[in-house]
Amino acid sequence: MTAFHLIGKEIIQRKLNFLLSLLAIVTATALFVSFFTTGQSSKRETIRLMRDIGFNLRIIPKKTNMEEFWKTGFSKHTMPESYVYDLASHRGISYAHLTAILQKKAIWRDREVILTGMAPEISPPGKKKSPMIFSIEQGTAYIGYELAHAIGLKNGEVIDIFGKPFTIARTLVESGSEDDIRIYAHLHDVQGLLNMENKINEIKALECLCLMDDYSTDSLTLLRKQLARILPDAKVIWIRSIAQARAKQRFMAEKYFGFIIPFVVAVCMAWIGILAFMNVRERQQEIGILMALGYGSGKIAFLFLGKAVAIGVIGAAVGFGLGTGLALTFGPAIFKVTAHMITPQIGLLFWSLVTSPAVCALSAFIPTIVAITQDPALTLRKE
Amino acid sequence: MIRLENVSMIYRTKYGSVKALDKVNLHVKEGEFAVVRGPSGSGKTTMLLSIGGMLQPTEGKVITNKSDIYAISKRQRAMFRAENIGFVFQLFHLVSYLNTIENVLLPAGVGKDKYGRTDAEELLKRLKLSERKFHRPYELSAGERQRTAIARAMLKHPRIILADEPTGNLDPETSDEIISHLAEFHRSGGTVIVVTHGTAVDQYADHIFHLEEGRIKKSV
Repeated sequence: MTAFHLIGKEIIQRKLNFLLSLLAIVTATALFVSFFTTGQSSKRETIRLMRDIGFNLRIIPKKTNMEEFWKTGFSKHTMPESYVYDLASHRGISYAHLTAILQKKAIWRDREVILTGMAPEISPPGKKKSPMIFSIEQGTAYIGYELAHAIGLKNGEVIDIFGKPFTIARTLVESGSEDDIRIYAHLHDVQGLLNMENKINEIKALECLCLMDDYSTDSLTLLRKQLARILPDAKVIWIRSIAQARAKQRFMAEKYFGFIIPFVVAVCMAWIGILAFMNVRERQQEIGILMALGYGSGKIAFLFLGKAVAIGVIGAAVGFGLGTGLALTFGPAIFKVTAHMITPQIGLLFWSLVTSPAVCALSAFIPTIVAITQDPALTLRKE
Repeated sequence: MIRLENVSMIYRTKYGSVKALDKVNLHVKEGEFAVVRGPSGSGKTTMLLSIGGMLQPTEGKVITNKSDIYAISKRQRAMFRAENIGFVFQLFHLVSYLNTIENVLLPAGVGKDKYGRTDAEELLKRLKLSERKFHRPYELSAGERQRTAIARAMLKHPRIILADEPTGNLDPETSDEIISHLAEFHRSGGTVIVVTHGTAVDQYADHIFHLEEGRIKKSV
């Protein structure tokens, strides 16, 4: 009569206790497995979505002093205008909108203004996109709210800017930023006014992304690397808003599961522990007689811990199957883009087979201690 | 040989202390049949469990085969029990999820000597339980359960059988049958100590000890 035989016989006899314990560990394992199986796909999908959403970037001259840049809002250094065309024509980079800008502070009509030259937006080849920013004709100007309001400028009025006539195409509504003191004109007009032909000091790249399928590096690093190759004298600033929101969303999901999984595991451990404790109480006489027959503490502990490990092993296998099944059934509906990446993770079976029995044994540890330390004479004494 | 030297046992409960054994001295030679008789609460079972290495006395020594069994480790004591002592209880204490032969084989899981299915079947035959070997305890009569318990106690050919009210739940006819099995074990050279209320066992006894309020009042 081996200990394994006794464990097996006892499990068959007390099916309910066994099945309830099994249910607990199957639930915990299935949750764990389904989360990690879909988690890999979720991670890939986030990368893919990030890639598809693209980054909003400001590309400025490499020499720019960033402290000054953030103070003034633009770089005092310049880079060749050709950069924007190099970027637009590069096959490894995709974008939605590209705009070359030259801006500089100037005194006009005794007021400090930001003279801003903007080239027409470049859309990807074959894709006609509506411009993100207004498109300015040569010889026309857009005037910021504060400036127009203070001087009393009107649409259609012809104004002189540093000796060149410009028709006011539009006076802008209040923006609540430095844009309210801008004079917008065509890039080439501003380059001419500032004697900075073929120079720009910023490229705004919207929804810019690298087309290389490299999941080993994050897509921003990859894009930056690629841009450094195309535009050696430029550097890239990431306008975080969209990407940050996405990353935040993922962080929240991870945080949520980071709480849920330990919580479920703790509840399951308590559940298994209580059932093990009930099992010990139910088997007090059996423990007493086994001790009378010469079974030592180690052997009796083995009966309880062995049963817990058996529950853990069976629970791991069933939980892995169930968790994988759930992930394969419902995962593709949740992660549509990377549905094909939801596949059974055999590595998780190994981890389930290691952790589930360990969790069960840990849960049954205190009841086992109670079993081996109880006084057998208490149950056997019948006076 | 079993010797108790000034053995006292005090149970401490939340209502106070209870003296179950009070300086008990007892001597049973190897191969003897001893009966311990006394009213309920006189300390009979406590004494039997102390002799079997299951209950350490508060004071005194329990010497079995020339050694104090409470001077050795718990593990050694368990091994000693496995190899030398067979227990029979009033309530049989069979394991409910094992059938008759599995219950008999239960002691085979411990100790150095190997006893197997053949030994168990031989015992079941002797105790007229062959027909019941695959039956669960709840499918057996009280007498059959006690015979199963005796078979379990005898499987490893122990030197001592300690029986606590072995006929307490049985009718007179079945009681006689059970006692005859214990007597047979005694005749084969084994030592038997039986705790009982009844007198049916007296005819086999080498010694009868009367226990009252934890003390041996009379020894015959």
